[in-house]
Amino acid sequence: MTLIDIWLGILQGLGTTAAVTAYGLVFAIPFALVFGVAQYLTGGVARLLVTGVIEFWRSSAVIILLFVFYYALPVVGITLSAMTVSAMVLGLNAGGYASQAVRAGLQALPSGQREAGAALGLSRPAILLLIELPQALITMSPTFVNTVIQLVKATALVSLVTLTDMTFRAKEIAQVEYNPVAIYTALLLAFFVVCYPIALAGRWLERRVAAPGSRADGI
Amino acid sequence: MGFDLAFALSSVPIILGAVGTTLFVALVSCIGAAATGFLFEMVRRVGGIAGLLIGFVIDFIRSTPVLAWLYFLYFVLPFYGIRLGSMTVGVMGLSLYYSGYLAEVFKAGIDAIPRGQSEAARALSLSRRDAVIHVIAPQMLRNIAAPLGNYFVSILKATPYLAVLAVPEMLGQAFDIASETYRYTEPLVVAGIIFLVLALAISHGVKRLERRLLEGGAR
Repeated sequence: MTLIDIWLGILQGLGTTAAVTAYGLVFAIPFALVFGVAQYLTGGVARLLVTGVIEFWRSSAVIILLFVFYYALPVVGITLSAMTVSAMVLGLNAGGYASQAVRAGLQALPSGQREAGAALGLSRPAILLLIELPQALITMSPTFVNTVIQLVKATALVSLVTLTDMTFRAKEIAQVEYNPVAIYTALLLAFFVVCYPIALAGRWLERRVAAPGSRADGI
Repeated sequence: MGFDLAFALSSVPIILGAVGTTLFVALVSCIGAAATGFLFEMVRRVGGIAGLLIGFVIDFIRSTPVLAWLYFLYFVLPFYGIRLGSMTVGVMGLSLYYSGYLAEVFKAGIDAIPRGQSEAARALSLSRRDAVIHVIAPQMLRNIAAPLGNYFVSILKATPYLAVLAVPEMLGQAFDIASETYRYTEPLVVAGIIFLVLALAISHGVKRLERRLLEGGAR
């Protein structure tokens, strides 16, 4: 096998990596918005419950969550494909992180924004949708980009639950060809080629937004 | 095949017994990552070709998944005749992966120190070494304490990845029980719960430490 064959072999898994990422975002984005906003708006017992759900997804180790849901859901009678379980677990984990960006973005807005909305006679939902969220979304966009990168990298885990992503392909190739240096270097490079442009886009976005309090962290 | 509570409870002591390994791996990896990250940042600050190269290495590490790094080290090192235990390889992998992130923490921690501090040290004719040890380092340590604590929690949450290298941390132990009994759900759920409690307790401790440090800074 030449280096090119190894490369092409690993890239055969790119479709699955991309699919898990995209499908994961379907879980991550709504979760982040709904729970981030809920944590911002609620108080007392309701806030405790919302925080509990967020902390469950955010503070657990994502690899343990993936295995727990992969093995435990069928026991309670829920049969989902490996793809759906992976997208759900990785997505909600990423969504848990992103929800904190949503909440922080909303909290960072000057209270004058909300008060001005109220003075104009807007309802609370209208203030949230028309005034607060649009501004907060701009502030937190670099953090969202970081979350996407974290999600792409986390998809390497799906190779452990039988999905044929790039990592799984690398392991398959390693079984027929003893060339670990080329194979695993190619795997790292494949992820770099996918993630680095996203990181550069995130840095560009960060400079454009240049929001106080956001960190120049890149990847 | 439902959830066997008695069997789940019987796996608790075995998985609890691995908490020590998990914490040990996390602590050693965190120290390794901090040392490597500090070295990276120092080389990057000196600049020149070496600085640019390290800057690229940091970006590369941050654009690639930790699982790919673990496979890389695990399979590539023996290819060059370097045979190490799986725990050593795991600690090296986590140290290397998080060094890219901690380099950024050190960068932010040093950048946050006002220029006047090192200028004042020079005006007092302190040597470069004394200036770093007595003026820059103490201020940097306070700046990095909180993010370093957060990364310790991140590293803790990454320790279950070492189960793929058969390191007997908590997830590894759960898999050992599972492969002996062919029952995956109970040990995995137990590992998940214990791990979540551990992660929440430690991140709570880090937050308290952070608050105390901030109070100390406000003197």
